[in-house]
Amino acid sequence: MFRNYLKTAFRNLGKNKLYSGINIIGLTTALAACLLIGVFIIHELSYDKFNKNADRIVRVTMEYKNAETVNTTATTGTKVGPQFKRTFPGVEEFARTFLSHNTIKIDEKIFEEPRILYADPAFFKIFSFHLLQGDASTALDAPDKIVLTRSMAKKYFGDENGALNKTITSGGKDLKVSAICDDVPQNSQVKFDFVTQFLNLGNNVKGETWWTANWITYLLVRDSKSIRPLQSQIADYMKTPDVKAEARITGNNYLTYHLEPLTKVHLHSKLAGFEPNGSIIYIYMFAAIALLILVIACANYTNLATAQSTGRSGEIGVRKVMGASKRQVFFQFIGESALITFLAAALALVLGVLLIPSFNSITGKEFTTKSLVQPLPIISLMLFAAFVSFFAGIYPAMVLSGTRVIGILKKGFSFTGGSSRLRKSLIIVQFSISVFLITYTAIILQQMKYMQTKDLGYDKSHVVVLPIGGKMLKDFKSLKEAFVRIRGVEGVTAAYETPEYVEWGDGITVNDERGKHEISLNAMPVDLDFLSTLKMQLAAGRDFQESDFATLDTTNNYANYHLPYIINESLAKKIGWTAQEAIGREIENRATGPVIGVVKDFNFSSLHEPIGPLVMFLGRDFSRTFMIRINGNDMQSTLGRLEMMWKQRVPDRPFSYHFLDEDYDKLYKAEQRTSVLFSVAAGLAILLACLGLFGLAAFTTIQRTKEIGIRRVLGANLSDITLLIAKNFLQLVSIAILIAIPLAWWAGDKWLQDFAFRIPVHISVFIVTAIVTVLIALFTVGFHTIKAAIANPVKSLRSE
Amino acid sequence: MIKITNLEKVYRTDEVETVALNKLTLEIKEGEFVAVMGPSGCGKSTLLNIVGLLDDPDSGSFMFNGIEVAKFNERKRADLRKRNIGFVFQSFNLIDELTVFENVELPLIYTGVKGNERKKRVEEVLDKMQIMHRRNHYPQQLSGGQQQRVAVARAVVNKPKLILADEPTGNLDSHNGNEVMQLLTELNEQGTTVVMVTHSEHDARYSHRIIRMLDGQTVLENIMV
Repeated sequence: MFRNYLKTAFRNLGKNKLYSGINIIGLTTALAACLLIGVFIIHELSYDKFNKNADRIVRVTMEYKNAETVNTTATTGTKVGPQFKRTFPGVEEFARTFLSHNTIKIDEKIFEEPRILYADPAFFKIFSFHLLQGDASTALDAPDKIVLTRSMAKKYFGDENGALNKTITSGGKDLKVSAICDDVPQNSQVKFDFVTQFLNLGNNVKGETWWTANWITYLLVRDSKSIRPLQSQIADYMKTPDVKAEARITGNNYLTYHLEPLTKVHLHSKLAGFEPNGSIIYIYMFAAIALLILVIACANYTNLATAQSTGRSGEIGVRKVMGASKRQVFFQFIGESALITFLAAALALVLGVLLIPSFNSITGKEFTTKSLVQPLPIISLMLFAAFVSFFAGIYPAMVLSGTRVIGILKKGFSFTGGSSRLRKSLIIVQFSISVFLITYTAIILQQMKYMQTKDLGYDKSHVVVLPIGGKMLKDFKSLKEAFVRIRGVEGVTAAYETPEYVEWGDGITVNDERGKHEISLNAMPVDLDFLSTLKMQLAAGRDFQESDFATLDTTNNYANYHLPYIINESLAKKIGWTAQEAIGREIENRATGPVIGVVKDFNFSSLHEPIGPLVMFLGRDFSRTFMIRINGNDMQSTLGRLEMMWKQRVPDRPFSYHFLDEDYDKLYKAEQRTSVLFSVAAGLAILLACLGLFGLAAFTTIQRTKEIGIRRVLGANLSDITLLIAKNFLQLVSIAILIAIPLAWWAGDKWLQDFAFRIPVHISVFIVTAIVTVLIALFTVGFHTIKAAIANPVKSLRSE
Repeated sequence: MIKITNLEKVYRTDEVETVALNKLTLEIKEGEFVAVMGPSGCGKSTLLNIVGLLDDPDSGSFMFNGIEVAKFNERKRADLRKRNIGFVFQSFNLIDELTVFENVELPLIYTGVKGNERKKRVEEVLDKMQIMHRRNHYPQQLSGGQQQRVAVARAVVNKPKLILADEPTGNLDSHNGNEVMQLLTELNEQGTTVVMVTHSEHDARYSHRIIRMLDGQTVLENIMV
C-alpha cells in the first residue's frame, strides 16, 4: 500500500509541476533559512561551554559610584584577582587578561599582530584551550614565555612542530615559545593568537590597585554553588572601612564587584569584553524570523493543497469506494506532505551549504560545511521537516479523508466555505508577516542611513589611523612633522583613542558659585591640531597651541604645573556656563587649569547614547594613535608616500593602518547585521508569499475559465477581467497591510527607542510599503488573469 | 440477497426538500441481473448508492445477506462494501496517476491481500478482460471501451457477490457498450448478482428483471424472458 501511495504522490508531483515547484521551492528556502538560523542559534547558545570548568568560571565586573553617577565596566583594576584569591577560600584561581596588538618579529618576518593576549599563569588552568605541545601548568610561569596557536605557529615557522622553544620578539622583547595551542574555537569570548604573561604589559600592572580598570579578570571558583555566596561576601568585603580607605571611597560613593557566570556573558551581559557581546534578544529575533518564514511556506502548502484537492476528488472517491478507510486516506495525504517536505529538507541542506559564505557575512561568523553537516543540525532539520509535514498537511488530509464519498464521484469535490475562509486567512497571515518585515526593515534601513550620514560634529572621512608604539613617542615631534610634509596630507594629530568611541572615564572638580563639586565625565588626552585635523568646531575660545606646553611645568615638584582644558558644550551646560562664560574658568582634572576652549558637541560614543560631558587635555605622552587627514583625491598615492616614510622612520613596525570611518562603522556592526538580516528575511517573506499567491491565482483562473469566457462573450474587456480576479486577492492584501502596519510601527519605534539619536518614524514609510506590496501582489496575480483574459473565449467555453 | 422495506431518503437544502426515495420496497435475489430504469431524478442513483453502502437511508429497513445494515456506521459499511460489492461507473472513475495494473490492484490492497496473490489475481482478471497487453498504460492512454473494461476488471477482482453498475455504457459507443454488457452478463452467469441503473432499453434487455421507478418509488416490474 505504501508503494501505491508513494507512486501516486510522485506522479501527482510530476503532473502538477507548477504547484509542486512552488511548494518545493518555498519549503526548501524556508527550511534552509531555518537550518542556517538554527546553526547560528546553536552556536550562540554554545558560547564558552566547551570549557570543562565553564560552570566554575566567572568574569568580575566593576560597579562604582562617583559624583552621583553609577558606572559599570567589564574591566577591573589589577588588585581584584590576587586580592580575592587571598581573601576568599572559594576562589581557586584568577587570571587578569588584556588583549592588545603588538609587533611580532622572527628573523626578517615582522607583522603587526592584533590578538596578543596578556594573561596570568593560571589562564590555561582556568580555561580549556587545548595545548598541542607544552604543559598548561608551565606555559606561562615565566615572563619570557609565549604560547602560539597552531595557525600562528604555521604562519611564523611553517609547521606547528617546529615552533616549540624557538624565540620570537614581541614589542622588542625576546620570548620563548613554551606551548602550541589549538586554534581558539569560534564560540569563545576570549580569542587570541598569542598568549604571554600579564606582567609583560609593563610597570603599570606590576603594582596592585583597585582603580585603573583596564583588565578583564576571570576567577575559577571551587564550586559552582559557591558563586552566589561569594557574590555577597564580595559585596560585604568592599564595604569594610579598610578597603574603602584603600580605594579612596568617601561619602556615599561606593565600589563593588559582580560575578558573571562565564556562560552567561556572551548573550546576557550588557558589558562587552574582548568582543561585542551577542544578545539573547537577537537570538529570539532570529528564531522568530525562521518561524515566520516557515509559517509562510506552510501556508503556501496548505493553500495549494486545498486548492488542488478538487482535482484529487475523483481519486479519493474511488479509493473510498474500493474500501480505503478514513485513516488510510488521511495518512496518504500526510504522507504526501511528508514526501514534499523531506524532499525540500534534503534540498535545503544543499542550499544551506551553498549559502554559508553569504550567511557568514551577515552573522560575522565563520561557519563551514562541517558546521551544518552535524548530528544536531541534521536532526533539528528532520524534526522541522516532520513538524512542517504535519502542520502543512493536516488540514487538507483531514478534510479530504473526512469527506463523505457519496456525490463526489459524480459532482466532484471542492473546498468551499470553511476552507476558502482558511485560504483567505492564510493569505492575510502571509502578507501581514511580509508587510511587517518590509516596514520594520525600512525603518531599520532609514536609521542606518541616518547614522551613516549624520553630522557627528567631526569629519570621519579620509582620516588614516596608525598605532603609536612606545619608542615612537620619543621621536614624536619630528615624526609628526615628517607626516605633515607629505604631499596629500592635510592635517596630523594624535590622541589616546579615536573620537568615535571614547572609553576613558574620568572626573573633574569644579569650584564655582555652588562651591566645590565633582562631575563624572569622559576625558581625552590629545595632541595639538586635534580639533583642526578632525574638523571639529569651536563654540568659544581656541584650540591647544605650542605655547600651552609651557604651562606643563614639572619643575619644582609640579608647583607651577597647569593643564589647559578644552571642554564640550554639554560639560559647560552641565556646570551651568555658557560657552563664552566657560573660557578662562578653572577646573581640575590631573591638575588645575583654565578652560581655553569650548568645542561644539560631537558624538564620542555610539548614537545609542546621548552626548555626555567631555574634557580634553593636552596629553601627548598618552598618545596611542596617529590620525592623519589626507586629501580625498588620489588617496592611494598619498598612502604610498606615507608608507614609504613610515618604513624609513619606523622600521620596527609594519605600516598597518585603517580608516577612522571603518572604526565608526564597527560600532554599528550589530545594527548592520540586523538590517541585512531583516532585508533578507523581508525579501524571502514577500517572495514566498507571492509564490503562494501566484499558485493560487493560477488555480483560481483555471477554476473560473468558464466564467471568464462567458463574461468575455458578453463584452467584458481585459481590465474588467483582471480586476474581477485581482480584486479578491487585493482585498486580502489590503487587510494584511492594515494589520501589519500598526505592529511594524510599534516594533520599529521600540527598536528606535534604543538610540539617543534617531529618525522620526514617518508615515511615508508605511504609505510606500503599502503601495509597493499592492503593486507586487497585483503583478503576481496579473500574470495569470491577463493570460486568461486574453485567451479566446470560445476555446475556454468549449474546453469546459 | 437484498431486501429493502419502506426505505426513505430525503435531501434537504436551506429552502428545498427533495424526496429521493419514498417508502420504497424491493427485493433482489442472489444471482439475479436487475436493471433499474426511470427518468432523471426518480431516485435510481440514490437507490444504487444505498444498496452500494455508499450512503445511508433516513428510515426503513435494508437487509443485506440477512443482516440489517441500514444503521451501519461509515466504518462498518466500508468494511462490508469492500468485501462484497464491486462498482462500475458511467465515467469509469479510474485514477489517472495509476496504471491499468495498479488501478485494478487497488481493491485488493485495501482488503489486505498479499503482494504475490495480488499480482496473480490482477493478471488473471486482466487476461480475462483481454487488456493484459495494456497493463502498464495509464487510463488516459486507453479508449473509452478499454477504460470501462479496466473498471469492470477492478470491480470483479475482489470476487464480489454483487456488482453495481451505474449507467456503465453511458459514455461508450454501441460497439464498446455491447462488449461491456456482454461482460456483465458473463459475470452474472458465473453467479455474481448484478444491479444496473440505465437509461438504455437496449442494455436493460440483458437483465432478468427491469424495475421502473418514478418519484422515489417502484412503479412497474418487467420480468424478461
